[in-house]
Amino acid sequence: MLSLMVLLPIAGLLVQGFSAGIPAFLAAVNTPRTWAALFLSFRLSLVAALFNLVFGLVLAWVLVRYRFPFRKVLNAAVDLPFALPTAVAGIALTALYAPNGAFGHIAKDWGFKIAYTQWGILIALIFVGLPFVTRTVQPVIEEIAREVEEASATLGATRAYTLRRVIWPMLAPAALTGFALSLARAVGEYGSVIFIAGNIPLKTEIAPLLIVIKLEEYNEPGAAAIGIAMLVMSFGMLFVINAAQVLSRKRRGNV
Amino acid sequence: MQIEIDEISKEFGTTAALTPVSLSIPSGALVALLGPSGSGKTTLLRILGGLEFPTAGRVLFDGSDATRLTVQERRAGFVFQSYALFAHMTVFENIAYGLRARKRATRPPAAEIARRVTKLLDLIQLPDIGARYPSQLSGGQRQRVALARALAIEPRMLLLDEPFGALDARVRKDLRQGLRDIHDTTGLTTIFVTHDQDEAMELADLVVVMSMGRIEQIGRPQDIRARPASAFVRDFIGA
Amino acid sequence: MSDLSHPVPASPFRPAATEAPWLRITLTIAVVAILGVLLFAPLIAVFYEALREGVGASLATLANPESQSAIRLTLLVAAFAVPLNAVFGVAAAWLITKYSFRGKAILITLIDIPFSVSPVVAGLCIVLTFGANSWAGSWLVAHGLPVVFAVPGIVMASMFVTFPFVARELIPVMVEQGRAAEEAALTLGASGWRVFFTVTLPNIRWALLYGVLLCNARAMGEFGAVAVVSGKIRGLTATMPITIEMLYNEYSSVAAFTLAAVLALLALVTLALKTLLEWRYADQLAATHRH
Repeated sequence: MLSLMVLLPIAGLLVQGFSAGIPAFLAAVNTPRTWAALFLSFRLSLVAALFNLVFGLVLAWVLVRYRFPFRKVLNAAVDLPFALPTAVAGIALTALYAPNGAFGHIAKDWGFKIAYTQWGILIALIFVGLPFVTRTVQPVIEEIAREVEEASATLGATRAYTLRRVIWPMLAPAALTGFALSLARAVGEYGSVIFIAGNIPLKTEIAPLLIVIKLEEYNEPGAAAIGIAMLVMSFGMLFVINAAQVLSRKRRGNV
Repeated sequence: MQIEIDEISKEFGTTAALTPVSLSIPSGALVALLGPSGSGKTTLLRILGGLEFPTAGRVLFDGSDATRLTVQERRAGFVFQSYALFAHMTVFENIAYGLRARKRATRPPAAEIARRVTKLLDLIQLPDIGARYPSQLSGGQRQRVALARALAIEPRMLLLDEPFGALDARVRKDLRQGLRDIHDTTGLTTIFVTHDQDEAMELADLVVVMSMGRIEQIGRPQDIRARPASAFVRDFIGA
Repeated sequence: MSDLSHPVPASPFRPAATEAPWLRITLTIAVVAILGVLLFAPLIAVFYEALREGVGASLATLANPESQSAIRLTLLVAAFAVPLNAVFGVAAAWLITKYSFRGKAILITLIDIPFSVSPVVAGLCIVLTFGANSWAGSWLVAHGLPVVFAVPGIVMASMFVTFPFVARELIPVMVEQGRAAEEAALTLGASGWRVFFTVTLPNIRWALLYGVLLCNARAMGEFGAVAVVSGKIRGLTATMPITIEMLYNEYSSVAAFTLAAVLALLALVTLALKTLLEWRYADQLAATHRH
């Protein structure tokens, strides 16, 4: 029943996508507009996930190690992008970053446009992927024994060296998992992006939106083809990240 | 190196971990800080290592003031109760860590580091475990690796926090002799913390009995046994 | 052993295992500022835009038939999707943690698929499988049960997207608890169902509630998957998020943001409950960790 619920629809996707044969599938994917959308989605998702990797690590560190007022409120708020519906996030971000919005207004004074450009998409993707790295890394930081850091210091290592050679290797597997989740989420994101993106073909049109457009044109095989291309690319990326993780785990023995 | 502890006190918030404590440790001695938990012995050790800073008082190394030196500047070989080995590094990398962490100007070349690590592995009588990870070692082996790692930085003194605490009774006896041997070959001033009076009496040249943040008695094991200075020492030794 | 808090020393020296004070302060301020811009500003923007023309005006938009039917539909979808997923989630977690069987690894992977698949692709899959052009779809339509562009499709899409939440929360808790208590109950002669209701369920109730909360928040707020399968028929298949989009695109800003504010409140309540549960549940978990 369970596998049926997940597997049947995916089988449906594959059947439809290849129903007209491989050449038709390639023809549907191989258009400038589709390539532009796929490239845009993956490129911006990668940048957003990288930002979230770095910021997520710092955020997790600050939340676990430092003490400051409202720390617990901040900690709870990190999950907001998980809880807030994407459409709500989408219109809220647009309201802020549109040229007449609070932040967009400032950007405009500086001769800068955020909403309806790739910057707007990037901000939306950062928003939806924000919690992943922090939430995967936080428990690992909590587990680090203080003596390990002290041992490093007694051996003469500076704090920076300790962070790089002792702490980072401990956090890396969890951070990579969070990065992968954040990336996968960003690639597939739709609701929070379409409002702020402007959706100009070849420029700010993301791949999931293109699927919706094809469906609205009753071009089901075309939509299926893009869907398959996205699935293949996402799984490819996840595979690379998982392989990297397995390798690093092998390198450190059966810890 | 000769160590002088001059009227050191330490407060954590409102609780006093050390009421002013003074102690003079001759160069090359093997000293035990003996006392029950909460007696301040670990705090004193951590102050010597630069992991904790005193609320008042001074620490002198060979007569010069070391109170303000950072952990890194102290060059104290420190062995933690949990050993605190780096789980993601091999034994070799663990021991080489302190040398590799040095600034480029003072860092020995790779071949020299390898030579020193091999020599230390021989010293702890575990020549063949360089490629293993800490998770693949027994408790006794981990303790000796932690010792080798502390020795690799050519420390000015050796500080050990309950070095035998996490081991079972049989291994404990063997490793006591191991520490004695290493102390005798290196000639380093060595201070270890323990709550086990047998261990202190058997191993140390000088025993410092502590209780509730104060030093109760300082002396050679046989003197302390013969003439306990207070009821507390008599109880604690007699137990 | 001391806990993980690193007390700032009374003396001017800092302990070995922290960063320099200037760095700590800089990082803390940076983190607070970035979170303020990234998280709190959008949240404030929702309520600001909703109340732009006063409380009365925004409340009035909630009374319009479009918003009313959207709210009703969203509640209806959640009423189906959440309990069904709670049951499936418990069943899946139970299977995975209490039995070993062939294909267990595949089942674990399956549970996670909705996390790595775009909601739009998920919706697309449902359209292609159950749409009017498909074999299953035409059969269903012929028997008077259309899925796509109808409520069953929306429920299905919501379920697909929220499927992992309950199982993911339960699996670690059930692994932790092991089978000892249940086996003890069985040897005492309790039947399988009785064991489930008297031993298993009480043990997992907080984790279950936690999973259900997350599942509910996501089900009510799902947009991408629902946008694809619903057909966005006003008054019939437009859920709250879909209605927000339609109102927003028609420049009914206050109405769109008021509906958004309702969902944002739901999100805040979810977060608050989740945090409360975490405190409670952390005690329980910490207790099991310590022994």
